[in-house]
Amino acid sequence: MSGTDGVRASAGGGADGRWAAALARRGGTDFWRGLDELLDTPEFRARLADEFPDQATIPAEAWSRRSFLKLLGASVALAGVGACINVPDERLLPYVDQPPEATPGVARYYATSMTVGGLATGLLAESHVGRPTKLEGNPLHPASLGAAGVYEQASLLQLYDPDRLRGLRRGGRRATWEQFATDFIAPAARRTDGGAGLALVLGPTSSPLEIALLARLRDRFPGMHVHFHDPLVPAGALEGGRRAFGVPLLPRYDLREADVLVLLESDLLGSAPFHLRHARHAAGRRRMLEPTDTMSRIHAAESAPSVTGTLADERLRTRAGGVPRLLAALLAEVAGTSGGNPGALVDAREREWIAAAARDLRAARGRGLVAVGERQPWHAHVLVHAINARLGNVGRTVAYAPSVIEEAGERSHDPAALAELLRDGGVDTLLVMGVNPAYSAPGELELGRLIGAIPNTAHMGMYADETARACGWALPEAHYLEGWGDARAYDGTVSLIQPLIRPLWEGRTVAQLLTMLLGADPDGRGLVREHWRTAGLADESAWERAVQRGVVDSTGMSVSVPALAGDAEGAAVAAALDASRPAVGMEIVFRPDASVRCGEFSNNAWLQELPDPLTKLTWGNAAQVSPATAARLGVEAGDMLRLSYAGREVTMPAIVLPGHADESVSVHLGYGRQGGERVARGVGVDVYDLWPADTPHSGDGLSVEHVAGERVHLAVTQDHWSMEKRPAALGATLAEYRANPDFARPQRGRQLSLYEPYAYDQGDQWAMVVDLSTCIGCSACVVACQAENNVPVVGADQVRMSREMHWLRVDRYFGGDVEDPTVAVQPMLCQHCENAPCEYVCPVNATVHSPDGLNEMIYNRCVGTRFCSNNCPYKVRRFNWFDYNAELGETERLAKNPDVTVRERGVMEKCTFCVQRIRRAQQAAQVEGRKLAPGEVVTACQQSCPTQAITFGSLTNPTDDLLQRMAARRRYAALHELGTRPRVNYLARISNPAPDVTGASGTADAAAVAGMDEASDASARPGERPSGEGEPA
Amino acid sequence: MPSRSGVASPDPVRPLYSRRATAILLSVAVAVAALAVAGVAAAMGWARSPYSTMQYADVRQPVPFSHQIHVTGLQVDCRYCHSTVDREFTAGIPPTRTCVGCHNDAYLQSALFEPVRRSLETGAPIQWRRVNNLPDFVFFNHASHVTRGVQCATCHGDVGQMAQLYQARPLTMKWCLDCHRDPSPYLRPGEGAMPRSDSGRPWPVRAGTPDSIAGAVARLTACSTCHR
Repeated sequence: MSGTDGVRASAGGGADGRWAAALARRGGTDFWRGLDELLDTPEFRARLADEFPDQATIPAEAWSRRSFLKLLGASVALAGVGACINVPDERLLPYVDQPPEATPGVARYYATSMTVGGLATGLLAESHVGRPTKLEGNPLHPASLGAAGVYEQASLLQLYDPDRLRGLRRGGRRATWEQFATDFIAPAARRTDGGAGLALVLGPTSSPLEIALLARLRDRFPGMHVHFHDPLVPAGALEGGRRAFGVPLLPRYDLREADVLVLLESDLLGSAPFHLRHARHAAGRRRMLEPTDTMSRIHAAESAPSVTGTLADERLRTRAGGVPRLLAALLAEVAGTSGGNPGALVDAREREWIAAAARDLRAARGRGLVAVGERQPWHAHVLVHAINARLGNVGRTVAYAPSVIEEAGERSHDPAALAELLRDGGVDTLLVMGVNPAYSAPGELELGRLIGAIPNTAHMGMYADETARACGWALPEAHYLEGWGDARAYDGTVSLIQPLIRPLWEGRTVAQLLTMLLGADPDGRGLVREHWRTAGLADESAWERAVQRGVVDSTGMSVSVPALAGDAEGAAVAAALDASRPAVGMEIVFRPDASVRCGEFSNNAWLQELPDPLTKLTWGNAAQVSPATAARLGVEAGDMLRLSYAGREVTMPAIVLPGHADESVSVHLGYGRQGGERVARGVGVDVYDLWPADTPHSGDGLSVEHVAGERVHLAVTQDHWSMEKRPAALGATLAEYRANPDFARPQRGRQLSLYEPYAYDQGDQWAMVVDLSTCIGCSACVVACQAENNVPVVGADQVRMSREMHWLRVDRYFGGDVEDPTVAVQPMLCQHCENAPCEYVCPVNATVHSPDGLNEMIYNRCVGTRFCSNNCPYKVRRFNWFDYNAELGETERLAKNPDVTVRERGVMEKCTFCVQRIRRAQQAAQVEGRKLAPGEVVTACQQSCPTQAITFGSLTNPTDDLLQRMAARRRYAALHELGTRPRVNYLARISNPAPDVTGASGTADAAAVAGMDEASDASARPGERPSGEGEPA
Repeated sequence: MPSRSGVASPDPVRPLYSRRATAILLSVAVAVAALAVAGVAAAMGWARSPYSTMQYADVRQPVPFSHQIHVTGLQVDCRYCHSTVDREFTAGIPPTRTCVGCHNDAYLQSALFEPVRRSLETGAPIQWRRVNNLPDFVFFNHASHVTRGVQCATCHGDVGQMAQLYQARPLTMKWCLDCHRDPSPYLRPGEGAMPRSDSGRPWPVRAGTPDSIAGAVARLTACSTCHR
């Protein structure tokens, strides 16, 4: 948007002017982490100077100095007594009957699946004698391919959540399932009205079992109402499919051969269905091990930077409402027509982006792909289908298939229809299962009030949430690790949900509850088994195989490549142009949150503390605005804004996000919870209140007002652990890389050192290479690390004091223009330096080096001087300020990995390269009398990475992948000039921006677009040792 | 204070300190230093003594199980009960079912077997008390030791002579390191040195060459070998 000048004039002080000046002082390729760092304000410098800010400050609720001294005497006396009890009297509790598969101390892995929005992702659950401790992706599952997203991995914590509903409640008093069966189910089942007054509300489902049970229930109660509650219903995509093809088909993308991706308001790699698979395949086109390799090009147009947008080579900031208009213009450009003259509706910057995208798409016919966000209006989807069809992409990178969600696209998915049903449907008995409509629906529908007005209501859920409070009965729902089930992946592949543990709190599954309504026996496993006995797994061995693998083979839905309905394109163009009135006022965009989605994960402390990929905000949400808009409003991050939209208003803090569209505000769902969940309660602001039922994604007419005098201190981690402007993340464009393939060379190789070199020549030598070209900053690795290594959660106040404990953080750097920056992300973890600065300064030898190149942290030696962290240039060491683990509830302790020490207060900790996995694998190999195979040790972060950006292994026994990456010319060591010789190396980020549009060469340009013909396999050089230096830099 | 300086001046005849003052001071100083050293030494000595390490401690079990009877008397293979000792981290504590494999109804009637009967009836485990207890930050792998030829008795003592099991070794870190720094004397390659194995399941002991053992010392003494 071109508002900058006007903004500067109006911005009393002109913050953006300051940014521009600050930028001018810096080199063009510099990255900066936050606006404060760019401005380099004295406050920012002061905050940085203190690595452990506020260290004298203790939380307000903690002890005062006085009470501390009072208790000191008592502690000393008690310590004397305590010292006498030397060895705790521990008990050994063997099994009575040991199941053959359970060996104490040995982890077993079971295939299961988790659904998000009704769609399954296959998982492998690690179990220690019946106790699930970690979730990883199932390599056999099409939606996972071995990776797992943040929701899937963090869902483990919810199994053990102490806030879960423990047993049934009837009007707040304890009850039993038997009472529920007699007092609620039986009267409902005896109905004679054909079910006309009976309504079921459940989440969107793809489960063949649940769908079959619903069909049986409908036979029994023909008048019964069934509603599927989903705040993120992809109505636009389904309607677009219906208008384009006559049936509501959804696109199915294949990114393996896609050289050009044009994505509009679409987080295809971050949150869209199948995002793990898409991320894997998109990254496969961007590995760039050799300068001669080819690379895809990603064009993105979005209102707020997304995970996908960070990877984009050509990114256009645009208001979300402008997407159909851009698509109409893109269609015209691709088709070479000017029907309706959409070109007139785009400004110069947009025209430039469209021209570049269209040129690439035309050059890569059949190898390009256009996609648009699922909740965009129908005409946007029809336009995308039309563009893909014209470019010959259909049948190659995109095909179509029906949604696997039951009744997708019908009115039974519309929250407004639910409100209508509850108000006027004559419903007297309501059963809500697994969803929380009283919270997660547009506020104006007032579903909570409507539910409360119905005489007989029951809610089944994991928590005593808002809906449970409005209902007469609160029933505990089984976590998916507690109950049998099935579901389909986005492509239709049937995924079995296998429990690993008996329900902790009497929970039942949706299928069990539906069976109760049918008057049948709600035996969880029996239900699934019986259904599949008639549905293709009659044979016991086929069933066993399916349970073991987690997927039922060849159940994916076949795709089709239908032709567009004749009039669809014209209607869509007309609708898009019709909707493209000049924008009125500001725009508001409603988005699911990267951490808590729509509220399903609000009570998950791992996710609450997981920094947002872009803003790095933890514990809450904030209204995202661009720097120019913030300057116009005169606000900074943390200032309160009053957002008024469609007659409702909400006050929430602002956060300034470079790369956001101007005059547009993004707000995130899932916060401001008022249910019984203690972690979620009161965190952030509920923007459902503001969300009108007729605004699926974004709308114009928002008015924003700065509430002067109020400020909140947002728990943002972006400036913590700063690299002080040292070049940690390197990057280049493809053209620069080809011109100078060794641009990263000065950042690797031997450095002079005063210390005697240690010969790392005995046995395995562990090392990691992280490819910044394919890292999308999704933070799956952060959660994986947290789960694997028992990393504690510290809470919002401690995060504000820079005390978050993540061993692995994902640094987000901005580069270039403040308003329209490029983004680079860099996972930063202990670099396992061969000359580790931390080791020299530890007075008690608590951090030392192992002969296989690990920087070891010995917790039981550490006395907490924190010298090591002070001396660490990468700022990857974390200190336990409090005994975070001591406060855990009885069940939460069960989530801990028994292979890793749980650290206590006063101890430093940091990434160990998952040493427990290394030692376990080594010892297993030794016991079996064999050599450790290359690739046998996989770190938690590496395992979870959807794009396989992280490679780990032994330099003396490497995998081909590690070997190739060690030999890559863009490999470098972060802060190489310090001579620390880190064992973690990075591959500099390569982006592939379109050549300057003014350049004449349309055809030469085509060659620069990725993968034009040969993908060079020549880059694989098996058997060769890592380049000249022989050792990591 | 200046005004009282005259009053405070020393008596010119009597010396301020007696003749023995230096000797007293010195002996007190020496005594204090000696006490301090002795205190530290005593604390360190105590920490290494069986009082602290629980070596030889009397640990009464709910069932007075005798390793002597089973190992020496009945010649039961260690792995009949500790079934994973040569394969996994843990040696394995036998489930109640293992006991009743041999101890049929007649045996079970005895009062001594009351906890076993109760365990079978209620399905609740027998609560054995731990004898050889390592701190939670130590990750000990039985299989790695056994397959290298470390005898059971090297760490557990001659359990075949123990009517009541006790901790036979101090299990201090120094004691561990004594072997990790120089493992050769403790490795008895070849199955013959291991406890008897009538079960037909040979001990999977693989002998290392002296060179490979010497090369392993650096790895064996790395902290993360045991602490993670």
